[in-house]
Amino acid sequence: MLFLCGAVRAQNAPDLAALEQTEQKRSLEWEALAKDMNDRMARMLPCDPRAMAAVNEVSRASDAWLESLADYLRAASAKAFAETADAKNLLNIEERAAVEVTLERADAGQEQTAVDTQSDALAQSVKQRASLEGPQKLLMEIAAMVRERATVAEQRTISADAAVALLRELVAKFEARDTALREEFAASEAERARWSGYYAARRARAQIECSITQIGTPAPKGRQGKR
Amino acid sequence: MRKLDLPNPRKAARVASGALLTAALFCGAAGLIGQTSRDQYRQAYNLWQQVQANLERDAGNGGAPQVAQADRSASAAASFEATRAAYVKSASDDAVRRRSILQNATTRTSPDLVPPAVASLAAGELLTVNKAIAKFTADKDPGIQELRQSLERERVALVALSNTIQTRQGTVAATAQASVALEQARAKAAEAFGDQASQLSRNAALLEMERAAWADYYSKLADAIQNANPPAPSPASAAPAVSPVDISTNAAPTASAPAPRSNSVSPVPLVRYVGEWTFPVVNGTFHGATPVSVALAVRENNGHAEGTLSGRFQPPPGVTDPLVQFTFEGEIAATPTQRFTLKANDGRSGVVELIPGPAFNLLEVNFQMDLRPNKIRSGNFILVKK
Repeated sequence: MLFLCGAVRAQNAPDLAALEQTEQKRSLEWEALAKDMNDRMARMLPCDPRAMAAVNEVSRASDAWLESLADYLRAASAKAFAETADAKNLLNIEERAAVEVTLERADAGQEQTAVDTQSDALAQSVKQRASLEGPQKLLMEIAAMVRERATVAEQRTISADAAVALLRELVAKFEARDTALREEFAASEAERARWSGYYAARRARAQIECSITQIGTPAPKGRQGKR
Repeated sequence: MRKLDLPNPRKAARVASGALLTAALFCGAAGLIGQTSRDQYRQAYNLWQQVQANLERDAGNGGAPQVAQADRSASAAASFEATRAAYVKSASDDAVRRRSILQNATTRTSPDLVPPAVASLAAGELLTVNKAIAKFTADKDPGIQELRQSLERERVALVALSNTIQTRQGTVAATAQASVALEQARAKAAEAFGDQASQLSRNAALLEMERAAWADYYSKLADAIQNANPPAPSPASAAPAVSPVDISTNAAPTASAPAPRSNSVSPVPLVRYVGEWTFPVVNGTFHGATPVSVALAVRENNGHAEGTLSGRFQPPPGVTDPLVQFTFEGEIAATPTQRFTLKANDGRSGVVELIPGPAFNLLEVNFQMDLRPNKIRSGNFILVKK
């Protein structure tokens, strides 16, 4: 069921590469407009409608860029959180599996004791019946195999415990990564609000520059409103 | 093969009925594949132990009842081994499936999302605004004062913006750092589970050998009980308990005609290791580096093994040389898994393990060599006998 869910999730997962491409395109568009906004405006009269249009254009490009950045981070976070959920599920299952391995080791120990008991009994019987010598050797070989398997079971127990410990560390790292992603997303949203605030302040300055000079077209506000 | 040697109809009937019982129990066990649990194989084990109770003790002076008990024990052992094999396979398949998520790299956000010029752009704007504010500070004209206040508000917005840019850059760096740490932990966990997979396959191979050995044991035990009772061996003629024997022989040892011995101490026939082996073209089984082709030759002489391995692999990340070539040698050990020291053509050393596979014509190879840049370090795969 876990893997089915994983498959469904994978099918619905947004294409991160495409979102990243869009984000980079939008950021370049914004950067190109933003870096010479003031130079362009400096060459215009205060009430030139193109001045307000220039601020609005950069502001829109900024919104588009930061929206695409939010889309990307949202998608990346969703994918990352799903990975964390999978890792936590894996840890739960592996913890149970490690208990099973311990039981299997106990089983192997029990089997080893049983085979040794059989060997002892057969050794007594060989004294009465020489033809049992062959089976006795086979039983000794089986006992050696069971012993080797018990050793492997012991190693498996150690490995399983170590692997579970590593998995616990891994889940902690997943959670740390998720926390970092959440903080990155929150910081990016805060920056988005600040850029918006800055462009609003820049627009307000342009309007005041126009109003105090009374030069240029008479109704920049009305024109701006129609945009 | 065995039927040709049967001395009497009673024995033939015994073998036939035993085979039928075994087949029935096997079919039942096979049906359990995918739904077996540890409890099920433990039940089968307990049943086997009940069936074979005191068999060895009574074998010394036993007769027909013990022969029948040996046959029932063989069937119960086969049922147990089959149920457990199904459980082990199911558990192993599940483990491989669920651990596959550790093989994939985790999601990492791109570090190049925000143009590097963002901070300097905001800083440049702030500088411009500060200069303008300074220029208008002394001017008492109401219009200029209004403009200056507007510039002050813009400055406040720019300072706040610069702070958030700095904060965001810090969080981007923190995410990148957390992603690197996560990726390292993932690789470490994946490696640990890889080791477990290797142990699981070794466990499965041992269980398969035990299954075959138990069948052989009960068959020979029944034969021995059934045989005419020769005198008990004198202590001098009795084989020492630690004397090795090659179980590849089917000859039942007797006091008058001792079983043929080989120099090998291996608990499994040498034929399971010796010969020429190759990686199958389709549906090959492996763990770690993907083999494209592998050729292995193993020879044995007086308990000493030597061999060569030559393989080509799909280079994993960080590896440019896809070839692996080494020779190995050592004494055959008294364990199913044979471990030898290897010497690679490029001078590296390491170890190689040969583990008899689940079928007679399959051999698992597990090698590890010294770490060297651009070179394959380890491999684990199952080969087929040529």
